[in-house]
Amino acid sequence: MKKKFFCGVDIGSLTTKVVLLDAKGEMVSRAWARSGYAGKEVAHRLLSGMLEKVGARQEEVTVVATGYGRVTYPADREFSEISCQARAIARLFPAARTVIDIGGQDSKVIRISPQGRVLDFAMNDKCAAGTGRFLEVMAQALEVPVEELGHLAEKSSRPLCISSTCTVFAESEVVSCIARGEPKEDIVAGICAAVAARVLALAERVGLEPEVVFTGGVARNKGVVKAMRERYARALAIPPEPEITAALGAALLAMDLGTERK
Amino acid sequence: MSDKQHTLHSARRLGRLMSRYYLSSRYHSLWGPLLRRPLAWVTSGAPVEILRVFGIHPFYPENYGALCGARRASLALCQAAEARGYSQDLCSYARCHLGSLFSPEHAPLKKLPPPDLLVACNNICGTVLKWYEELARRLRVPLLFIDTPFIAGELEDRAVAYVQEQLRAMVEELSRLTGRRWDAARARRIMGLSNEAVLLWREIRYMGRHRPSPLNAPDLFIHMAPIVVLRGTPQAVHYYRLLLSEVRERVKKGIAAVPGERVRLLWDNIAIWYRLNRFFRFFAERGACFVTDTYTGGWDTEMAVREDPLESLAEAYAGIFLNRSLQFRVRQMVELIRDFAVDGFVMHSNRSCKPYSLVQEEIRRQVVEQTGIPGLVVEADQTDPRAFAEETVLNRAQAFLEALAL
Ligand code: SF4
Repeated sequence: MKKKFFCGVDIGSLTTKVVLLDAKGEMVSRAWARSGYAGKEVAHRLLSGMLEKVGARQEEVTVVATGYGRVTYPADREFSEISCQARAIARLFPAARTVIDIGGQDSKVIRISPQGRVLDFAMNDKCAAGTGRFLEVMAQALEVPVEELGHLAEKSSRPLCISSTCTVFAESEVVSCIARGEPKEDIVAGICAAVAARVLALAERVGLEPEVVFTGGVARNKGVVKAMRERYARALAIPPEPEITAALGAALLAMDLGTERK
Repeated sequence: MSDKQHTLHSARRLGRLMSRYYLSSRYHSLWGPLLRRPLAWVTSGAPVEILRVFGIHPFYPENYGALCGARRASLALCQAAEARGYSQDLCSYARCHLGSLFSPEHAPLKKLPPPDLLVACNNICGTVLKWYEELARRLRVPLLFIDTPFIAGELEDRAVAYVQEQLRAMVEELSRLTGRRWDAARARRIMGLSNEAVLLWREIRYMGRHRPSPLNAPDLFIHMAPIVVLRGTPQAVHYYRLLLSEVRERVKKGIAAVPGERVRLLWDNIAIWYRLNRFFRFFAERGACFVTDTYTGGWDTEMAVREDPLESLAEAYAGIFLNRSLQFRVRQMVELIRDFAVDGFVMHSNRSCKPYSLVQEEIRRQVVEQTGIPGLVVEADQTDPRAFAEETVLNRAQAFLEALAL
């Protein structure tokens, strides 16, 4: 049967993202929700909702899954997030050579060729420092919603220095900053700077060739973006919806599968 | 894909050979003192040929550490050592071995055959110095130590002379301890046996140049045991002759270690012992074979024949790859990549082994630059399973293989 739609499902450690493309490769729908305990069910629910809206049946869709939960999802094929990111960025930003992605528990830097092939990549070691999870823990310690971190950081004029790389140690460092009565915005700006410093150090392993694109949920955090721009003086492109790029890439790879088959 | 296809028939013979070796270690620890054939605990880079001249039986705690890993006993033993205050940052071979002294009930082979003396050489790392000093204090046995200066460029005569002098002192000491005389002719014979086994091992490793390769890294890791613990004996030579003929046979019949080999890889660093098969199976299932590695090649360099056997030994043992510069190791990898027609390489950043791992990021950069092939770094530990996050590592491995295929 000829497929009418192509879907990318990205089941991440914190959120699940779904992107649906039509036969021409135009995005018809995208959605995300917290993965929670069962990312697979979340993905299923999101996709069913989309299909209902466009009036399509499951059999008319080719699905590619990615993200940590990818093997649990009954997709046509699964790919690692690295391949998906590269695929999406090559389409969104043809001039991009480097992708910096900070997600829930991974941060990664990918170097891509002009054709969108993965040339090299580096990922954080198994510790969660400098990832979305790190920011969540810090937000909790500060009793602010994680979405607020960016705005708070922007207000700071004197970012503190958070020196611990370990999430647990950094949390106690933050707690002692709170105890000392440091302004919240300065603490938050310090946290954002720590995330930026860490991912840029990672980037040095593969080289930061321009143009650089910043993706992943953390790219929405203005504080981290600002800190990155301060450290990395060149232009930093950010997609309008930075959390869905891997899902978009998965959907594009699903289209590629379709063309391969013909 | 069944595991049967992968296993060399020689694996059974190897099992018997190693059991006999461990049994004879026990025998020596019981009767050695009476027969003036003491048992020594030695590091993998110690000049064992000298010990053999004096009829000393070598036992290898590092090899034992690998065994603990493969048998999944390493975690309990590491914890036993940590409970006594040894740092988690200490090499896990050392922690396994020390742990086995404290908790023999958790240790493979139970109580290890106790040593009459200890011999250590820092050509592999600085850890062994402290590890063996600790053993000497605890067990109250003599420790002989050989210091090999780090070789930043070429191996210089004065470095060789410095090591040679220490070997001479060691010979005197061993002569005193065993009541036997140094016999240069016997030394040459034993070194001849070492060389013979080394050359066979090299030839076996080179079989991986064939396409498809008859060997995958786990084969190399398993079958390297005799070149370490039985170097300088006729048993090692005999074993590798049989292994070589089996591997040759495989090549002749076109039998692949990884059926449908599509990708040829190089492995850098020690194995992840507690996941040996499962880890490499992930690659094998995707058609990727590790046709060569840097670790088991550490035992494939032959000794030059010199007038004084101690000079040959000094030269050989000072020159091993872990005691060498970054440039040396880059060159070594670049050559392996070329000779084995490798498509990509995977480096195990091994928390335990600092000399092996600390320079990897820079080696990776240079090798990628010189060869144009991609390299992946995965973090783990040779025997401490707590340092290994399987999900994360395999995720990267998949991304790496996809990038190679797309
Ligand atoms: S640190 Fe490395 S070379 Fe030294 S004993 Fe441990 S594994 Fe062997």
